[in-house]
Amino acid sequence: MDLWPNILQLLSSGITIGAVYAMVALGFVTISRASQIINFAQGEFVMLGGVTTFFLLKSVNIPYPLAILMAISIVVIIGFLLYILVIYPLRKASVLILIMATLGVSIFLSSTSGLIFGTLPKALPPFSGAKPFQVWGVSVVPQNLWVLGTTFILLIILYLLSHRTLLGKAMEASSTDPLGADLLGISRNLMTFLAFGVSAGVGAIAGILITPIFFTSYNAGPLLGLKGFIGAVLGGWGKNSGAILGGFTLGIIESLSTAFIPSGYKDGVAFAILLVILYFRPKGILGSPFMDSRRW
Amino acid sequence: MPLRNIFIIAILTLVFFTWASPAHVAEKSLYKIGVNLEFTGPWAEVTKTLKNAMVMEAEGINAMGGIDGHPLELIFEDNGFDLGRAATNMTKFTRNKEILAIVGPFEDNLQATTRAIAEREEITNIIICPSNPMVRALKQKWAFNIAQSDIIVSEKLVDLCLARNYNKVLVFHGAWPLAQSLAENFRRFGEAKGAKVIISKETHKPTDIDMTPQLIKLKPIIKREKIDAFYACTAGPPGPIVCKNLRTLGIKIPILGTHAFGFGFIIALGGEAMEGVEFAGAKPVVFDQLDENDPVRPINIDFDKRLRDRYGVGIDQLAGYGHDTVGLIYDTLKRCTGEVTRASFRDSLENTKGLKSCHGIYNYRPTDHDGLSKKDMVLVRIEGGKFKRIKFPGFE
Repeated sequence: MDLWPNILQLLSSGITIGAVYAMVALGFVTISRASQIINFAQGEFVMLGGVTTFFLLKSVNIPYPLAILMAISIVVIIGFLLYILVIYPLRKASVLILIMATLGVSIFLSSTSGLIFGTLPKALPPFSGAKPFQVWGVSVVPQNLWVLGTTFILLIILYLLSHRTLLGKAMEASSTDPLGADLLGISRNLMTFLAFGVSAGVGAIAGILITPIFFTSYNAGPLLGLKGFIGAVLGGWGKNSGAILGGFTLGIIESLSTAFIPSGYKDGVAFAILLVILYFRPKGILGSPFMDSRRW
Repeated sequence: MPLRNIFIIAILTLVFFTWASPAHVAEKSLYKIGVNLEFTGPWAEVTKTLKNAMVMEAEGINAMGGIDGHPLELIFEDNGFDLGRAATNMTKFTRNKEILAIVGPFEDNLQATTRAIAEREEITNIIICPSNPMVRALKQKWAFNIAQSDIIVSEKLVDLCLARNYNKVLVFHGAWPLAQSLAENFRRFGEAKGAKVIISKETHKPTDIDMTPQLIKLKPIIKREKIDAFYACTAGPPGPIVCKNLRTLGIKIPILGTHAFGFGFIIALGGEAMEGVEFAGAKPVVFDQLDENDPVRPINIDFDKRLRDRYGVGIDQLAGYGHDTVGLIYDTLKRCTGEVTRASFRDSLENTKGLKSCHGIYNYRPTDHDGLSKKDMVLVRIEGGKFKRIKFPGFE
């Protein structure tokens, strides 16, 4: 087998799917930085971004760019509602209860989406043509570039938000030192509320970007959520850069592994590598500000 | 006349008319059939079509006076695409002694369980999906299948390859029993006709959203072996995903599909990548392009019209199965003599001969519970976003 061009092609495929995992991981990290909650409904935001755009585009006949903007707004509102209706009333419960609640929300959102938008898979048209072009012998579709470009821009925006703005610092403070945040007059509830909105927005954008390539359906959320979560843990739980690195690493490993072993094992390989990395670096590749590896 | 007499006459008149009215005909015992389908879960939208068709046909039968005066009642239960619930529904139906037979499930994953219960409880189980190669070997007595089996689909696809002169075909199949069996049968029939069939070591799962890694590994084989056609031996969303990924990788060889490509949503998902895909499909997929002398053409056209009038959507493969299921039940009950029992229903269904319905002509035998034959399949090509029938002299 001519390995080299194949490796490049596999790498290109891995980078695209890795970008998706990275965006989902970013959503996880955004909420966890503000509240330490692991939002298992993160994958549903991705799914809702795709199916809502599809619904607005095909059933309501709204122009594509407007449908995208409206879908992102709708999913952000759902993110806010998730906080107001589920997380806020349970704010005095332990984090574990909140995580369970997000699992419930995940099931609720996917079933409701199935009821409203139907259960068949859906595909959006590509943003700018479907014709593949060749780069160094590798076939690339324009949509892949959209995915990569947007991931890059989102990363910069989230970096600036968390490191360069008072709001971002307040968000992080409310998670790492709740008492200190309270003493400084930071409303932790408001911070978590905003984090849910941002996270829902990132999820929705990811969903809209990938639906032209990978399709989406009402039950696509949990798998994407799980892979994104693994990406976030792999890179270093609680770090934006870790989420991006972990997401891309997972996508690329999954894809490249098929060059050497039958594709049926590709999910297994991803998990095996996750275990190996966490064995040597329990805090993830870049280390996690939240995890204490010397617990036992 | 005293008021009391007028009252008595009025009551008697009322009683007479009630007795003589057509509703009284319906006083004959109901023929009850349990329907155990995936009304929720990933196949909810598809099974809704099936239910609509079944309800319409059953109502049509009852409006015509039922089966020799016995109305037909369909009792629907949702199994939620869940093995446990499918089994519970089966048990629930079998406990109800009035239920003569059970229809469903629709998906292959559930049929082994319902078949086993049907055999144990001795009740007919009419399964919508094709028979599974694993359970077919068990020589079961009570289970019957409606859909085109993997054997006839493969035989028909080999015909397509011969007609198109595809001598070397690469098969990329799903990692589930039915897809594996379709691939194996295709190789068996293809090699018997002198074609070279290579079954790829790479497979895919129904949940795979990107097949590029697998297809990249197949690309050199396509070049080296000078493959004439690529057989995407799969069902559901993986079909359009394979086609899209192939075209993205710049692989331009013709693509063949299974009969599961005959759903409208497959074209909607794959878009342009589906253009030119050919497969052996069911007759309702191209019902308006069937031969004028095809005995099932008028049945399909009439059914399509009735569906459009009532639900606003026309016939498709699934609605066809719904029509045929109720048609088979009607025909079976009609041929039962004496009191209808679960055993006499089964025997009668097994003796179905030459029943013309939407998908073709159903014939069941003690050794064959699959019903349809190769003659009930047509060759279909996706062109301009629509299904188009293709014909080759000597193969149609």
